[in-house]
Amino acid sequence: MDAGLFAQYVMNGLMLGMMYALVAVGFTLFFGVLDVIQFSHGDVLTVGAFTALAAYAGLVTFGIQSQWLNLIILLVLAVLTMAALGMAVARYLVMPLRGAPALNTLLITLMLGTVLRESVRLFYPQGANPKHFPVLLPQSSINLGHFNLRLDNAVMLAAGATAIVGLQLLLNRTKLGLAIRAVAQDEETARTMGINFTAIVLLTFAIGSGLAAFAGIMNGLYYNEINFDIGLYLGVIGFAAAIIGGLGSIYGAILGGFLFAGLQTVGSVLLPFASAYKDVFAFAVVIAIMAWRPTGLIREKISERV
Amino acid sequence: MIRIRDFAVTGLAAAILAFAAATADAKDKVKVGFIGPLTGGVSANGLGGRNSADLAVRLRDADPKAKYQYEMIALDDECKPNVAVQVATKMASDQEMIAAATHYCSATAIATVDVYHKFGFPVIVWGAVLPDITYRNKYPEIHRVNGTMINQNDANAALISKLGFKTVAVIHDTTDYGKGHNKYFSEALARIGTAKIVGTFGVTSDQQDFTAELTQIKALNPDVIYFGGLTPIGVRIRQQMDKLGINAVFDGTSGIVSDAYIQGLGPLAEGTLAFREGAPTEKLPGGKSFLANYNEQKYDNPPEAYGAFAYAAMNMILDSIEKVGPDRKKVIADLGDVKDRDSIIGKITFDDHGQNTVAVITNYVVQDGKFVEWDDSEYASGKRELPRQK
Amino acid sequence: MNASKPKAETAKDGAPLWPGLTALAIATLYLIALLAAERQTSIIFLLILAIAAVATAAWFRLLAGVSRSFGDHEDALGRCAIVAALAVAAFFHSEPFALLLFTTVLVYSLATLGLNIQFGYAGILNFAGASFFGIGAYTSAVLAGGVVPDLFVLTIGGLLAALAGSLLLLPVLRTRGHYAAVVTIAFALLFRTFLEVNDVLGGPQGMPVKGMRILNWSFNDNIDAGPISLSFYMNYFIASLILLVAAFILVRRLERSWIGLNLDALRLDETAASCFGLDVARWKITAFLIGNVVIGIAGALFGMVGGFVAPNNYTFADSLILVSILLLGGIGNPWGIVVATVIVVIVPEKLQVIQEYRFLLYAMMVIAVLLFRPEGLLPRPVRRYFPAWRP
Repeated sequence: MDAGLFAQYVMNGLMLGMMYALVAVGFTLFFGVLDVIQFSHGDVLTVGAFTALAAYAGLVTFGIQSQWLNLIILLVLAVLTMAALGMAVARYLVMPLRGAPALNTLLITLMLGTVLRESVRLFYPQGANPKHFPVLLPQSSINLGHFNLRLDNAVMLAAGATAIVGLQLLLNRTKLGLAIRAVAQDEETARTMGINFTAIVLLTFAIGSGLAAFAGIMNGLYYNEINFDIGLYLGVIGFAAAIIGGLGSIYGAILGGFLFAGLQTVGSVLLPFASAYKDVFAFAVVIAIMAWRPTGLIREKISERV
Repeated sequence: MIRIRDFAVTGLAAAILAFAAATADAKDKVKVGFIGPLTGGVSANGLGGRNSADLAVRLRDADPKAKYQYEMIALDDECKPNVAVQVATKMASDQEMIAAATHYCSATAIATVDVYHKFGFPVIVWGAVLPDITYRNKYPEIHRVNGTMINQNDANAALISKLGFKTVAVIHDTTDYGKGHNKYFSEALARIGTAKIVGTFGVTSDQQDFTAELTQIKALNPDVIYFGGLTPIGVRIRQQMDKLGINAVFDGTSGIVSDAYIQGLGPLAEGTLAFREGAPTEKLPGGKSFLANYNEQKYDNPPEAYGAFAYAAMNMILDSIEKVGPDRKKVIADLGDVKDRDSIIGKITFDDHGQNTVAVITNYVVQDGKFVEWDDSEYASGKRELPRQK
Repeated sequence: MNASKPKAETAKDGAPLWPGLTALAIATLYLIALLAAERQTSIIFLLILAIAAVATAAWFRLLAGVSRSFGDHEDALGRCAIVAALAVAAFFHSEPFALLLFTTVLVYSLATLGLNIQFGYAGILNFAGASFFGIGAYTSAVLAGGVVPDLFVLTIGGLLAALAGSLLLLPVLRTRGHYAAVVTIAFALLFRTFLEVNDVLGGPQGMPVKGMRILNWSFNDNIDAGPISLSFYMNYFIASLILLVAAFILVRRLERSWIGLNLDALRLDETAASCFGLDVARWKITAFLIGNVVIGIAGALFGMVGGFVAPNNYTFADSLILVSILLLGGIGNPWGIVVATVIVVIVPEKLQVIQEYRFLLYAMMVIAVLLFRPEGLLPRPVRRYFPAWRP
């Protein structure tokens, strides 16, 4: 395999990994703060992407032509709307069930994911069909042998990296981040210290869902297409990635995301006759990892009240 | 409070009962059926077919000479074999349903032939092109008015070879439809002998990411990428070809002859080849009057590529019921003996497997956002060139 | 020391039989009406009637009497239920679609009973129920009509499902809570993708399944007995009824036995159970495998009923439907499962207007149940430790 081909595969892997990492980080945030797996996270991504699409249709009718302006407005709109949705989910569905067995929360978020997915399919005009996502990034590319370096891919990678680095800075250098980490570590003590628990939880959900919207738009820009099913697939992979990396650890989630994308790319190279096997390969590895390290690669310190 | 609510509900229920009793049964209708992909990526074709079949029923109901009143029940097979089997079972097990015009997707049509045979339910296929549908078994219930994919792949291979392309990479979906295209195209290309296939890739019919296959194809550097599959993944493959900087001709089959293909790609669709059996709708013997009647009804969707065939299939069913009465066995017997019957697509003759022969193949190329016949296009006359054309 | 034993009161001193019997009779008539109704207005009327009737009964506290009656006379009422089912089938003897719907209800109830053993008794999360169902169905597709007699095909289907389940045993045993959920969800997705890309088992196109044949009696032929013509689905109906009754008895006996006691202890508090000497791993394995056998047998039978298997029939969404049925009906209550299956299978088929919206509606119903009534429609009654004890 020559260098150009290798570089192309690496680029494919990096793009996928970035999207998975963004979703996985969301899962980890929710789990860290509330000990809850929000299975509807992937479908929040779908709703975010469709919101962006609807917003674009609106912008076009208003006659706004500039691509960069459109992109920024779309991003801001989708991220804010999904942040609001995330907060609503936390307030009305997750927090009331904190006393119930964890199973109930898991199930309710799974069902909510189905509600979101089906709502997009049924209520968005012709939602069952795949939808064309507008081209908003510069399309120029440089052909280096077998490797096609595209400007839009580079922009997306840079944007994704910025988002993740931004999140890290938020968590480690700001007071809000400190509050989030405190709540994640020990809820009772954090409350005793005067931290407004509900506000922090809602904000964390908002941040996570905003990241999902960002990932959804990235997905739309990369494939130039979205459909109502992308959330389910990305959600499960993001979840698996978060698990691999160890729930509750941001670094673990990022590691898990890129690891999963790496597994898929390696799988598709090793099994050239059917790249669809790459999913079978990747999921099988996830199950194997769960058997070996039940709480993920970066171990979670669990203590249970007996 | 609850007591009042209960009485209110019971009162409402009584009112509904009265209303239901008041609307006495309408006069006896003969039920005919239609099955097609009404939702999902190829719904444009399914809805076009449904509207066309509905047009046939409406025109017949408005005809004072008709012996019966007809009611068409349309069911959605979502272009998925398992859903198709469920709706086919539902339709065929309903004793009041006499016959149906069925299926655009070959994957669904081939899955349901056994169901129709099990229930003795006569059907006429209007859009699926896989030969096995009529030729795998000799079921008297199964008939088809449109052609099979063998001829279109012969024409496809012939054009590619004539234009001087030497290397072809094949991408096909893994349903029987895509596999059929792969088989017949490879055979046709080998028979002509001037071009060769450098790689074959199977993809799932709902696959999102083709970068793995396309990266390998880029390394193989073919002149043409042949695609045996339907519009949704055709759009994705063409998009991602461009993203990876692959410069080759995109050569499709009847599966991508659809407005949805052009809408999904915009300018990227330019220069795509496609082939279809049957003349374009306006050039069919009854085409112009069909289109006129269709437009009069103001349906939401256009008839698309196979609307005329759906219309012809439904008309044939209605003619048969008029002739022998609403009885499944008699309709099967009547449809077993079809020679040179007139229809808007020309004269229909069913061979011993229930298959009609459609001789004409139309070669298409996408030019300026429309499917244009090859011979009429600027590519044939030399004003424009396909990628890598010498 | 003389410990006085509580006097074993006979069931005759318990609740009367007639509330349960009346409820059963009303339910049977309602089911016949629902299956027979054709027009959308009549169906909507029937549904509103049902909701109104149940609300009224709850207001007048009649439901408690019915459940007590069921609790005390379960065997007798069970037999009456079998007779009722046969009556419904006899009513529709020449209508294939109604029989098919009813048979589907029976088979789905069977599969959910298997899930109940895993989820409701042992507390093992299984989000891959449809995958094990699919393993049974594909076994039928491959083996039916061949060398192996068809009854054995059913058993083999169950055993293969258990075998596949044992692949997941190690991860399932070592994980708790959310992580256990990931394992089965990953398996559910893996299974469908594996079937789709794999041409050996038909790929995305699926495979036809030959009908069942027992000793020259073909299940796919209509039965003509003199003047009466029975639809061929009657064969499958009787087969699924027999299997469902057998599974129901199995589940009931299991629940009441020491095995059930062990499983309940395991579910409620694993650490405490292991402190008392229960081998946690052993009982989890037992419950998981037995549950899978039942699900596999149901899948094998249903493959023959439908005559067709395809990967898209056994997706994660279908597993979620089985879980919804379990939650809706009441975890751990077999009667609740049957009622919930009727609602989930028959109502969307009949009410055309909601057919497209049915996944949305199931999910919303389950969310409502989880928020407001987590025990489900028919919650599992408190365990009876002594025969004559009344809660």
